[in-house]
Amino acid sequence: MPPSQRRLDRSLDLCTGLLVLAFVAFCLFPLGWTLLTSLKPEADIVTATLQYIPQHVTLENYVTLWQQSDFPTLVTNSVVVTSITGLICLTIGTLAAYSFSRYRFRGRGKLLIFYLVIRMFPVVLMIIPLFIMMRNLGLLDSRFGLALAYTTFLLPLCIWMLKGFFDAIPLELEEAARIDGCTRLGALVRVVLPLARSGLVTTAVFVAIVAWNEFLFAMMMTTSQGSRTWPVGLQLMVGEFQLPWGPLSAGGILSIIPIIIFFALVQQSLIRGLTAGAVKG
Amino acid sequence: MPMGPRKGVFPADSNPSIHVGVGSRIALISETHAWAYLLLLPSFLLVLAVLIYPVGSGILLSFREMRLTRPDLGTAFIGLRHYRELWSDPVFHISLVNTTIWALVGTTAQFVCGLISALALNRGLHRLLPGMRLARVLILLPWVMPSVVAGHVWALMLDSRLGVINDMLVRLGVLDRYMAFFADPQTALPAVLVVSTWGAFPFFTLFYLAALQGIPDDLYEAAGVDGAGLWLQFRHITWPMLVPIVVATIVLRMIGMVNAPDLLLVLTGGGPGHATQVLSLFAFQKAYAEFDFGYAAAVSVVMMLMLMAFTVVYVRISGVTKE
Repeated sequence: MPPSQRRLDRSLDLCTGLLVLAFVAFCLFPLGWTLLTSLKPEADIVTATLQYIPQHVTLENYVTLWQQSDFPTLVTNSVVVTSITGLICLTIGTLAAYSFSRYRFRGRGKLLIFYLVIRMFPVVLMIIPLFIMMRNLGLLDSRFGLALAYTTFLLPLCIWMLKGFFDAIPLELEEAARIDGCTRLGALVRVVLPLARSGLVTTAVFVAIVAWNEFLFAMMMTTSQGSRTWPVGLQLMVGEFQLPWGPLSAGGILSIIPIIIFFALVQQSLIRGLTAGAVKG
Repeated sequence: MPMGPRKGVFPADSNPSIHVGVGSRIALISETHAWAYLLLLPSFLLVLAVLIYPVGSGILLSFREMRLTRPDLGTAFIGLRHYRELWSDPVFHISLVNTTIWALVGTTAQFVCGLISALALNRGLHRLLPGMRLARVLILLPWVMPSVVAGHVWALMLDSRLGVINDMLVRLGVLDRYMAFFADPQTALPAVLVVSTWGAFPFFTLFYLAALQGIPDDLYEAAGVDGAGLWLQFRHITWPMLVPIVVATIVLRMIGMVNAPDLLLVLTGGGPGHATQVLSLFAFQKAYAEFDFGYAAAVSVVMMLMLMAFTVVYVRISGVTKE
């Protein structure tokens, strides 16, 4: 390799590194700043000269949030809604995705495209009739009703993701099971599902993150403490107090901890699952 | 390759005859021709109930009167009245313009950041530079952040009294005093666009990095031997390979930008004045605050038609044919 080429490579490496560093800083700075703010006492947040590094580190914002707001209830509601959403999407989604992945039947292609196109419908357009529907069914302001509403946008996504994971499992294993006298159902339960375990977990995490974060449906469909999820509660805190930046930051940090943990655990498989379907078109 | 039953994968006791009760009945059904359809049935019914039915009745609703706060008005069929009212509603016109700016500028900014970061990460990973694998994960973080948290985080950073960004810009001499970014009609929309770019550009990074890593190395090696520089390599190898995924991601992102008012709801509520009012937020507020469901449905239908028109035209212009 000529020295000029090597010098070019090296300076390009430097540019690459700096560019990536800039992007990482852009991505992380807001989160880091929230963490720092959540650790400052109120007096150090509302001050004439900005403190970059907290001078008095305290957990009082977390204590205030946990004891003086309904945050524990909100988090419980969110956990319940997220779990129900995940359960519905994963069971029903698995059946559909398996069918799409393994069988060739009339209307298969059209149905697959249909499950992709329905993403185009405006959320607001669905929220209104869903609101009326849930009210008539007595499911308004209930955790189950909200979870059901979440399946509108999560189930189609879930089916596409799971189909990608099933497609990656070789057909021969199932055929061998069938030759050994296993029924189709037996092959699905005993051969395919155990092999697709990491795909199932990944999809579950993805569904959970989206359901956990969801704000618009929750805002519209929950009206009381009994079902209100944490994003709605956090938003309403702004109205109740005069901008409680400390507790608000603490709430933000607490609510993103589970996301970061889950995302870190499955990120590789998640990236593969999300992009596999899309790269193919 | 001959495939026999494998130990561990396929237990030996899986003879269907040992199944009992409901299990064995379903197992029998699984051998019929209807099996593929039966598996699809639950999802199809659910989608019908929570998606197709709501969308259908939402479209019908846009031709009806329906205000939850005014039950005396009834729910009569009123034809195109909501649409005529929209046409003469100045807020609707402002929202239409703002939606276009919001979606076009936002998507473009996110696309540019996503493409550049993906190219940089791809090169860094390829050249085995230190820290690149970690950077790849960290850059995706904003994308999984809830919009409520993103909104509050940035509201604090851009605050007119306590904002760290104001402080840094003043220290650097870019500003001579603190700005109230969200209170000024001139800066409100750009400020929210910055926040939205932060939260959504990793979506592009994710897909473009995956696509870049799928391009075989020997294509670049051959081009290098032929003396093609970096720009020519990008122009003739990288870009053509990326085009299909670029079209798909831009369509998806435009849909996301037009449909989701979350960030604007948290940050500005459409204000100051109507400076950041967009159609999705307008519709949501009509439904959530005023319970004027018929009118909100009409706004949503207009949005849906705009998105459909955009998608059809864009996919046709970009010349990507379906595989």
